[in-house]
Amino acid sequence: MRTWSEMTTIQPLVSKMLVNSLKKERISHAYLFHGARGTGKHELSILLTKSIFCNNKTDFQPCDNCKECHRIDTGNHPDVHRIVPDGQSIKKEQILHLQKEFTYTGLESNRKVYIITDADKMTSNASNRLLKFLEEPSKLTTAILLTENSQSILQTIRSRCQIMALKPLNPLSIKNKLVEEGLSESNAKLMAALTNNISEAIEISSDEWFANARKIVVQLVEVLQEKPDESLLFINNNWMPHFKERRQLQQGLDLLIIWFRDIIYNYVDNSDSIVFISEQEKIVHSSMNWSREHATKVLSKIMEAKRKLDQNVNPALVMEQLTLQIQR
Amino acid sequence: MKFVIQRDQLMDSVQNVMKAISSRTTIPILTGLKIEARHDGIKLTGSDSDISIESFIPKEEDGIVYVEQIEPGSIVLQAKYFPDIVRKLPQKTVEIEADDQLKVTIRSGGSEFHLNGQDADEYPQLPELHTEDSFELPTDLLKNLIKQTVFAVSTVETRPILTGVNMKLEDNHLNFIATDSHRLASRRIPLEKQTQHLNFSSVVIPGKSLNELNKILEDKQDSVEISVTENQILFRTKHINFLSRLLDGNYPETSRLIPEQSKTIVYGTTKELLQSIDRASLLAKESRNNVVRLQTKEKDQIEISSNSPEVGNVVEELSAKSIEGEDLKISFSAKYMMDALKAIDNEQVKIEFTGAMRPFIIRPIDNDQILQLILPVRTY
Repeated sequence: MRTWSEMTTIQPLVSKMLVNSLKKERISHAYLFHGARGTGKHELSILLTKSIFCNNKTDFQPCDNCKECHRIDTGNHPDVHRIVPDGQSIKKEQILHLQKEFTYTGLESNRKVYIITDADKMTSNASNRLLKFLEEPSKLTTAILLTENSQSILQTIRSRCQIMALKPLNPLSIKNKLVEEGLSESNAKLMAALTNNISEAIEISSDEWFANARKIVVQLVEVLQEKPDESLLFINNNWMPHFKERRQLQQGLDLLIIWFRDIIYNYVDNSDSIVFISEQEKIVHSSMNWSREHATKVLSKIMEAKRKLDQNVNPALVMEQLTLQIQR
Repeated sequence: MKFVIQRDQLMDSVQNVMKAISSRTTIPILTGLKIEARHDGIKLTGSDSDISIESFIPKEEDGIVYVEQIEPGSIVLQAKYFPDIVRKLPQKTVEIEADDQLKVTIRSGGSEFHLNGQDADEYPQLPELHTEDSFELPTDLLKNLIKQTVFAVSTVETRPILTGVNMKLEDNHLNFIATDSHRLASRRIPLEKQTQHLNFSSVVIPGKSLNELNKILEDKQDSVEISVTENQILFRTKHINFLSRLLDGNYPETSRLIPEQSKTIVYGTTKELLQSIDRASLLAKESRNNVVRLQTKEKDQIEISSNSPEVGNVVEELSAKSIEGEDLKISFSAKYMMDALKAIDNEQVKIEFTGAMRPFIIRPIDNDQILQLILPVRTY
């Protein structure tokens, strides 16, 4: 586990705010941590929980060695409740369970903490149930909501939480670390754009599947430019068989996003930021084909496609619609 | 940790604590059963976080030795396997031993089990009991208190506080009150001991916990010691501690709901009334709230009727002991009425009405300790 001082180097602003509220004993009743993957949302929530429960704090730093801290780590603390999406979404039943917990007194003390991971995945039913309790908080309850996308959380929930924006990690420093780990310059840049987690980046880059995925994304762009009539065929024959699972498809779309972002970077003469450095010629070529305006539009279409995938829309249909939208 | 124990004693205790353990829990450690060996005996603990049951096996009782060779310590064992293992062991005595690596060895006769345990430090810490804050009730009285009130708790979660029974201390009387906002059940008993020293005046105990407690308590004259801490209530019998979490919040003020005067009073025989309403409810349909109608007639007669046009109707006349006051026609839920009558442990019952649209009260004829209040149903 990290300490507050370590967290301060990664998330200076948020850590300072939290430490100050601990100092003044003014913990809010609900927090919403939002930030991209790997920005330390989960670590921060655990650290805050420990700081609330630990009895041997030195300067608001939990000891990490007492019963309370141990049990928070292992998920055995009876007054800390964690909700993780059950499959694609957080279901009503899970919030019902929380609801019951809200009405009971605590098991050991009356201090209770709820951590809801991926809060944006709550179904609307679940969100509305949760809302009721955010509206009438009891004194000693703290809710911590974690999300990558705060915009897709119900406006009414957002307005009742103290929103903590975790800043994205610096891609340059990640890239440099990855280069140190022995990745090629171009690969490191791509990985830094895809993920904030060093070990995950190394794992992906050594994955053969990912190398192929990258190739297919480039091929798709080429097909879209050269032979638009065959694009649907390409989706069916090459794209779908490779990106079988939703998670994989999401990653493919992430790559596509980077490609179109590169096109825009090319337009604005910011070639340092281009991620697909090894494919720079193709990017330039793409820019000839699609206007800057169109590229922007495509980006929002891809985002929409990603959202639809989360909502369980048939992946093949999502991809077909997307290719048609890109061609237009 | 190590000890040698009589298997039958262990089995009884295990069965008791197993009642609290649920396989569907969000906290992984609670799927386990905690065993704590102390110099004076063995304590088993099971919990589903709402209720916790502790069972104690003394080292020896009445000169019979139950546990030997105790080396203190504690461990958490998987509740899924442990009870079955104990039940099927070949010999009368069981040796249980845990080492530093949380490996548990269970020996009995020639068989030997090795189980992986969990660290007992991970287990929730249940509050220590404070005997000076407690009061005692005979077991059968407590069971009665529960039976006469708990059926009236609300089963819907819209107002969570109503899913519990309100336990209130007032001028040396103990009150149990339950309501689901359509009916109310209450029982009041005097306490022998002074209650000034008790540090609570009103708590709300979940109805589910009381039902569980009722199952566990045996019909004996022994007393149960009750103490309330900040967030839990403890019922202590000789060898079993039953803890329940409380419901958080303020219980609504119910005393104002109870009408003070009445316009019509019916005195009757509990059993006769109960049976006749039971018969009338046969034709009252579940979907229409089970409504039956009560009408007072001349010469102390009551007519109980129910009508569902698709099925048919039923009319029954029975004689009350006496009827005082105005004539009355009233409709109410048969189920609520039957529940209320069943809770009254007196042969004669007194029902006080204040008009067809106002709640009415059912009491035993000789005391006002039990009070059942029911809201009538509006019919046209």
